[in-house]
Amino acid sequence: MKELLRRIFLVDLIKGLKLTFSYQRPSATYTEQYPLERPPVAERYRGAPRLNNNPETGETLCIACNLCSLACPENLIVVGWERTEDRRKKLTTFTYDLSRCMFCGLCEDACPVDALELTQDFEIAEYSREGMIWDRKTLEEGPEPSRYTR
Amino acid sequence: MPEATFLDANELVINMGPQHPATHGVLRVILKLDGEKVVGTECVIGYLHRGVEKIAENRTYQQFAPYVDRMDYVAAVTNGMGYCEAVEKLLGAEIPPRAQYTRMALAELQRIASHLLWLGTHALDLGAMTPVFYTFREREEILKIFESYCGARLTTHAFRIGGLQYDLYDNFERDCRKFCDYFLPKIDEYEELLTTNRIWLSRTKNVGVLSAEDAVGLGSTGPVLRGSGVRWDVRKAQPYEAYDKVEFEVPTGERGDTYDRYLVRVQEMRQSVRIIRQCVERIEPGPIFGKVGKVIKPPVGEVYHSIEAPKGELGYFVVSDGTVTPYRVRVRPPSFVNLQAFDTMVRGHLVADVVAIIGTIDIVLGEVDR
Amino acid sequence: MATIRILIVFAVLSGLVAYLVYLERKVLAFMQARLGPMRVGPWGLLQPIADGLKLLLKEDIVPSGADKALFLLAPVISVLAAFTVFAVIPYANNFLITDVNIGLLLILGISSLGIYGIILGGWSSNSHYPLLGALRSSAQLVSYEVAAGIALVGVLLISNSLSMVHIVERQQQTGLWNVFVQPVGFFVYLVAAVAETNRAPFDLPEAESELTAGFHTEYSGFRFALYFLAEYTNMVLVSCIAVTLFFGGWLRPFASVRWLDFLNYGPVAGLIGAGIFVLWLGWKARDTGERGFFKFLGVALIVLGVLVAYPPVLAAVQGIFWFTAKMLLFLYAFIWYRGTFPRYRYDQLMNVGWRWLIPLALANLIATALVLYFISPHAGLGSG
Repeated sequence: MKELLRRIFLVDLIKGLKLTFSYQRPSATYTEQYPLERPPVAERYRGAPRLNNNPETGETLCIACNLCSLACPENLIVVGWERTEDRRKKLTTFTYDLSRCMFCGLCEDACPVDALELTQDFEIAEYSREGMIWDRKTLEEGPEPSRYTR
Repeated sequence: MPEATFLDANELVINMGPQHPATHGVLRVILKLDGEKVVGTECVIGYLHRGVEKIAENRTYQQFAPYVDRMDYVAAVTNGMGYCEAVEKLLGAEIPPRAQYTRMALAELQRIASHLLWLGTHALDLGAMTPVFYTFREREEILKIFESYCGARLTTHAFRIGGLQYDLYDNFERDCRKFCDYFLPKIDEYEELLTTNRIWLSRTKNVGVLSAEDAVGLGSTGPVLRGSGVRWDVRKAQPYEAYDKVEFEVPTGERGDTYDRYLVRVQEMRQSVRIIRQCVERIEPGPIFGKVGKVIKPPVGEVYHSIEAPKGELGYFVVSDGTVTPYRVRVRPPSFVNLQAFDTMVRGHLVADVVAIIGTIDIVLGEVDR
Repeated sequence: MATIRILIVFAVLSGLVAYLVYLERKVLAFMQARLGPMRVGPWGLLQPIADGLKLLLKEDIVPSGADKALFLLAPVISVLAAFTVFAVIPYANNFLITDVNIGLLLILGISSLGIYGIILGGWSSNSHYPLLGALRSSAQLVSYEVAAGIALVGVLLISNSLSMVHIVERQQQTGLWNVFVQPVGFFVYLVAAVAETNRAPFDLPEAESELTAGFHTEYSGFRFALYFLAEYTNMVLVSCIAVTLFFGGWLRPFASVRWLDFLNYGPVAGLIGAGIFVLWLGWKARDTGERGFFKFLGVALIVLGVLVAYPPVLAAVQGIFWFTAKMLLFLYAFIWYRGTFPRYRYDQLMNVGWRWLIPLALANLIATALVLYFISPHAGLGSG
């Protein structure tokens, strides 16, 4: 009997209607209006790569050990080095092909001196394919995207 | 293409092309219709084939782990878990309990996320356009936890062979508990919107019925199998990690129709919350990496290991020839095998049910095609 | 005089339909925990204009092999049928275009002509998916027309007239809106109206996730906009009809109850309330450009509300305000249903129409007729 009354008076439909109606309050809105509100990014986020420098001396921390290049599944890191007078390795060029990178973080895990790091930058769009291949300078400075505020 | 004109209602052949809003990816379904009834189907897959298994032959074991996430891109964490466990089985490595419980918590969170996506898109296919936004909002919370833990939301690469790369971040337990408390009432909301709704019932009851014998015979696993009444869950039947130490139930359906599979998945979300709560309680301080060397060179041999991914039984068959790269990695994708049941399920139904049935099998083309 | 009213109604209706699209997107968005259009103009208010411009500027494709004359004519038929009916709807006791003594019959007749637009559109596209979609859509529409018509005959019986103005005046005389006298009839009409306009949960013929993508697949640019326009105008139309026939048209709630006369200040309260709401929106707006606009609009609405409180203006505005308010509630309900319910499959749709609604409407009709016969003096139908 109760079942019949529920069917006649569309109780199941009205329950659904009540739920969607209750969602119209402003506190229920979940939208984040990008580019005005940027998403909070986690600390461990694997974003754009960066080659870190020693904060005091300004020199690169990279010791050109080539471990990142060996660890990468896509073989997209090319490390160039030369030997100095005291038979130590000095980094000359560092090329990172961002178009093939899958941001897996294996290079970051492999680096013994924390020179190569995947930062929290996610705005890394470029206008050309060649622009996606970053050289040492871009890796050290980071991408400079235009910031839209409207 | 048909010889008769289309107005002749016998045996019309219609193509539901690879680009279709409702086929959950690039799936091509060729339907043979008699009027509005479907009398035969043929699924054409391979539009997303990327040669993942071939790539495995040319990468080291650790290097292959990120590729594995991209198969079932909706549930990357469980993909990684299956692969890492398979290789660990080959190595004979032991995982410390802290790593085990963390892996379980993350895998169950991923199960919830995958089922949420399934629910949203299934409801959207059937015309209810609001649940998708609610489920994606909950999924967003889970992805935030993943992002805080391993740095990526979708292609997580969360686990390493031998344990975990990242230890838990500071608020992991608190975030998981908060999520569980926040999420349980939301499941009730989805049920309020759909479970008793007469339109939903008429769209899903007795649609796509798969009997238990057919389900077992066609090799279906996961919610497709459990919806038909067969109580088989790899977590209970062949426990891995620490699943034998946590309590949870395995929901099963009765008739094997779309509605039962819907109920099974919703109940599974509730059970996953239960598992997460238990795992988070039991995480003790300790090591996160087992005794696995830096270079992974398993002894010559082969192993097949399967886990209960959200979509079904995900299996990895890894053959090692003693070098640092595997000789062969064969993936048993649950969606691929479940898709075989599509033909049995859809015969005799109307065209409008095809979309509902594709949705209820819960396929991800990345997995079907690899 | 009538020409000016026609122009006013046409202009207001076009604007209303355009902004109905915007309202639908916003309301649907809020129900789905998101925001809807926000970028084009403050809070997306210029979105319909942007959409209209875009559709006008799109390439006009006529498929090869299509029956060109019919292809061009079909959307026009739909739009014409939808717009023409607004000539016989009474918006207020002092504002209506014409009062034909067979108003209801005219409405049912002309709005049924819109179905030709759908069939011809599907046929002339020379493609089998639109044709199947058009046939399904027209079958659905015709079935639900029957149900709607029978439901309306109940109203006809109790009002004893086909003239829309007379029906409203009847409700004023008896002091009871027809929805309380004919609840089943209203329910049947409501469901049939949702199905008539191809809205959820009866929108299978035009859903994107189905195989047959609907009769308007081959239409692009402004012709597609015309079909769209026709659909939303139909929505407004069935809302107006429901309001007039069941909810007392331009009558204020409890129109004959003297001590509730303070409700006459409804327009004032409505305008001032809208003004406060807009000011609150402006307070929550993001940048100063938007904020300024909302402040201006809010203040303008409040000033308008105060001006309307002047008694002669209030008396003049009464009817149209209540009519519009009730009609907007109906439109909101349409959007609400779309946001909540899944879709019926085609055969279930026809099932609901033929096996549930039509018998229900017939039962309602018979019951109404019997009741009227027994309460009236036995000489003929119609109470005094």
